[in-house]
Amino acid sequence: MEKFVYIALFAPLLSSLLVALFAARPKILFTGILASALIGVSMIASFVLLVDVNAHGALHVKMMDWIDAGNLHIPFGFVVDQVSVIMMVTVTLVSTIVHIYSIGYMDHDKSFNRFFSYLSAFVFSMMILVMSDNFVGLFIGWEGVGLCSWLLIGFWYHKHSASWAANEAFIMNRIADLGMLMGLFLIYWQVGSFQYDIVFAAVKSMDVAIVTTIGIFLFIGAMGKSAQFPLHTWLADAMEGPTPVSALIHAATMVTAGVYLVIRCGELYTLIPHIGFAIASLGAFVAVFAASMALVNNDLKRIIAYSTLSQLGYMFVAAGLGAYWIALFHLMTHAFFKSLLFLGAGNVMHAMHDELNIKKMGGLYGSMKATAILMSVASVALAGIYPFAGFFSKDKILEVAFNHGAYYLWFALFIGAGMTAFYSFRLVMLVFFGEKEYTKYGIHPHEAQPFVIYALMPLGLLAIIAGFFEHSFEGFVTRLLSHYEVHLSHGTEWALIAGTSAIAISGIVFAIYKYSRGGFSKSLENRACYKLLINQYFIPKLYAMYIMQPFTVLSRFLWQRIDVRIVDFTVDLIAKVIYATGQNTRKMQSGNLSDMLRWMIVGMVALLALAIFFRPMV
Amino acid sequence: MDHILSLLVFFPAMAGLLGFLVAKESIKVYGISVSAIEFFLSIILWIGFDGSNAGYQFVEYYPFIPSYGMSYYLGVDGISLFLVILSTFITMIAFIALSIKDEIKNLIISVLFLEMTMVGVFLILDVIWFYAFWELSLVPMLYIIGAWGSAQRLYAAIKFFLYTFAGSVLMLVGILYIAFLYHDATGIWSFALPDWYRLQMPFDTQLLLFGAFFLAFAIKVPMFPFHTWLPYAHGQAPTIGSIILAAVLLKMGSYGFVRFSLPLFPDASVYFLYPIAIISIIMVIYAAMVAYAQEDMKQVIAYSSISHMGIVVLGTFAMNAEGITGSIFLMLSHGIVSGALFMLVGVIYDRRHTKLMRDFGGLATVMPGFATVYGIMLMASVGLPLTIGFVGEFLSLAGFYKVNWIMTLLAGSGIILGAVYMLTLYKKSFFGEVTHEDNKTLKDLNAKELTALIPLVALVVILGVYPKPILTTIDMSVKKMLVLLEKKAIDPHTSEFIINVNRIGGTK
Repeated sequence: MEKFVYIALFAPLLSSLLVALFAARPKILFTGILASALIGVSMIASFVLLVDVNAHGALHVKMMDWIDAGNLHIPFGFVVDQVSVIMMVTVTLVSTIVHIYSIGYMDHDKSFNRFFSYLSAFVFSMMILVMSDNFVGLFIGWEGVGLCSWLLIGFWYHKHSASWAANEAFIMNRIADLGMLMGLFLIYWQVGSFQYDIVFAAVKSMDVAIVTTIGIFLFIGAMGKSAQFPLHTWLADAMEGPTPVSALIHAATMVTAGVYLVIRCGELYTLIPHIGFAIASLGAFVAVFAASMALVNNDLKRIIAYSTLSQLGYMFVAAGLGAYWIALFHLMTHAFFKSLLFLGAGNVMHAMHDELNIKKMGGLYGSMKATAILMSVASVALAGIYPFAGFFSKDKILEVAFNHGAYYLWFALFIGAGMTAFYSFRLVMLVFFGEKEYTKYGIHPHEAQPFVIYALMPLGLLAIIAGFFEHSFEGFVTRLLSHYEVHLSHGTEWALIAGTSAIAISGIVFAIYKYSRGGFSKSLENRACYKLLINQYFIPKLYAMYIMQPFTVLSRFLWQRIDVRIVDFTVDLIAKVIYATGQNTRKMQSGNLSDMLRWMIVGMVALLALAIFFRPMV
Repeated sequence: MDHILSLLVFFPAMAGLLGFLVAKESIKVYGISVSAIEFFLSIILWIGFDGSNAGYQFVEYYPFIPSYGMSYYLGVDGISLFLVILSTFITMIAFIALSIKDEIKNLIISVLFLEMTMVGVFLILDVIWFYAFWELSLVPMLYIIGAWGSAQRLYAAIKFFLYTFAGSVLMLVGILYIAFLYHDATGIWSFALPDWYRLQMPFDTQLLLFGAFFLAFAIKVPMFPFHTWLPYAHGQAPTIGSIILAAVLLKMGSYGFVRFSLPLFPDASVYFLYPIAIISIIMVIYAAMVAYAQEDMKQVIAYSSISHMGIVVLGTFAMNAEGITGSIFLMLSHGIVSGALFMLVGVIYDRRHTKLMRDFGGLATVMPGFATVYGIMLMASVGLPLTIGFVGEFLSLAGFYKVNWIMTLLAGSGIILGAVYMLTLYKKSFFGEVTHEDNKTLKDLNAKELTALIPLVALVVILGVYPKPILTTIDMSVKKMLVLLEKKAIDPHTSEFIINVNRIGGTK
């Protein structure tokens, strides 16, 4: 089985390197096919491993040593257990579909080959992230996906906004990574190892204060990757990247790495429930906060990005409250329907010649039925309607919050569920139904190529049926993750399900009702709360004004005032004083005998004084 | 193999002397060949090096002025081995990339002399000779900057020379004073460093002597606020000068800390640990911010060197094997990465005769190969895992975490600020549309430049993925040194501190 581990891991790397050879060449269709095939190979290997882990339990391989210094020994080791194999399957499945989809989507791009090289490199990094058996190995993947995200957000680097967003994403993630690094250092000096098994065995006997610190540091890292408040602004800006990238990296896989980290460190977070509760609270806050921004936005991709943010909040609620398997389950189902939603949005963008404003669309159902149906399926799944996938996983999270007695969190998630349903169907209505606004702009939309639609079918299917795997999923992953006991009576459970479904359905109905009648009146746009939401609570502006600007000004000040005017000036001043002293005292050497004699007397007096007042040590 | 160290030190200079006889047309090939032979000699040294022996190897010892205990004393251990290889490697690469045509003969001979002094500094164990090599290294560099530099070259060259020279004068006084103390304690004269290692000095004396050596090393590194010669030197130096300056000469300072300050004055080193750590943190943050404000691409990299050297110094003063091994590895990785970055600036300067970022933009479109190599070096510079830059930075910071976690957090902000200025540089120069007419016809990397850059790229990846052979060799000598430090310290608190920072467990 070891060889399947390596195949799953290295097929994407091979793909990336092979395709990179053609990076500078004009489009070669073969590179796209090769990359998709190799990612497909990785997916098959992952499925084989899934079956194997199910039958024989976890696999652990050590490839080689990496870093060795002092007491520190870090190997390249990989573990394929119930959690990582679920991640592997999810990642490679979505990746394969996104690769195939991209053959169609990037068809006319002159950097077609380069795109596939980056995309495969991303899959490789993500596999390292989920498969590593130690924290530093995870950190390799962590930074690797950050790099690929930077490359892919800024893929169209001639656009200022794209390269800006790429840098923003990288730097924001780095801020969080510093927190994570600190966590790693603390783990090392406590345990002397980075191996998960050793660390998790050791934390049980550790001082709670230290475990708390580790937990906080690691979660800071997770906040960056999973774009939790206040490090969330990069995710919406990351939509500058090509849409397949948004689907794969900024919806299905990379942004869930933070959730994965918390799930992976479940044994650690179980010991510090107060931190877990803080994580859950932040998650619930983000769930509502991000959903509220999605309510009013008119940018097709940004709406879905905020939705992703919101759903990540849901996952953190589950993970924070100790329901790790539920968090992982929602992570998986979300990966399916959210990537479907994004890829559908990509079809719409193509049809609309890269127009993103949903107010300029409308009535697209007529010309792109398949995409419309797929996106509607994804939206229903996202809204959490029975029997679609989102129903099972999201409902569970609300149940967990209620079961925990965290009624505020439950209420926030409950409201969030309504908002989710509303903005999802606002999007569907504005894009696919109603007036055909696009005719005003002279656009003639067309459906995507058939193979692109076929590639999306599996995701559509999974968005419908994935929920029914709930019990087998639970049975499988709880062999590693802790069980989560729900102590609610059947009546309460049914009431919760009914309540959540009711608010979701009313959200949908309200959106359909409103937008089939022309939507809200324009006057709402002058309201303060609309302004607040459409400007993303003014947070990006605050960051620009109170962080970026002062930083730039201070940097220039340090350079021009401190470095040049003070530090260097002092150095030059010393040199000048010495030089001037030399210049002035040179006059002593006038060659005039009486002058010289006078100076000789001065010298003698000075030396005599020295001899009298300052006796040497002897 | 008996005299390989002498050969390594003097071969470049001898070949340089012979170089006067070589015709001008063939001098470049001559230079490359000499530096390649020198590089292979250093590789042979590595092959012959016994990885299980932490002490000095290939030792050569001849009395020089026996009445004063001065000797010709060479030896190599895990700490110096890779710095020697770095010096010979970078010299070779810099020669390959050389694009200067004027007076090239004198330039090549100067660089060969410089190579002698660099290798000499790292291999010599007699302190008087060390001082001689240390100071001699200034002369070729003065000439390189002063003769082949840009408009303000004389100012920059003289500033470089006088500043670094002034710093080391106090070191000479310190050297003489230690010899005097050694004579007092043992009755014999000796300038051999291993002898001095055994000398225990009173605490107050250690403080004074630490200060004397510190100034010389701090100016060389360069540490804040003694760094202002560096931007001028880099700004004016020709590409080859900048490469060697950043890659090797700065490392002489940080090597000095490891070789002299720590083992000679363990108590003083621990005593001054926090002030030095604060200076290092200032270096990291301050230099990164100043780098961000720069308009000239070369200045960004010059200031980034200061920022990275801050982490090197911090790692050294972590006083544990992780930190010191990491800081030595970071010296190597910074040598390779900053050398490559300066070379890349040289590549674009040769084409456009400007280094200002606003004159570029969109270079990724016209020079994809150049942009790729630059991108790889950029990622190594910001310390991405699986590149060479990560290993040393990670270990240095990990090491210092044991001493003080808040300071580590502050110094760690370098990984954020590093990304800020490097990515901004990359965005300004490589991304966006091509706006300047002159940039539209730029040629991508040529064969010569690729020959120089590909080995650097390869090393960045190979040593990022598999740094272990180098780390274990360094680590062994570092551990031996730490044992010496702990045994030698006269203040029990110092020993306790060293044992404590090397122990797993019990950190807050």
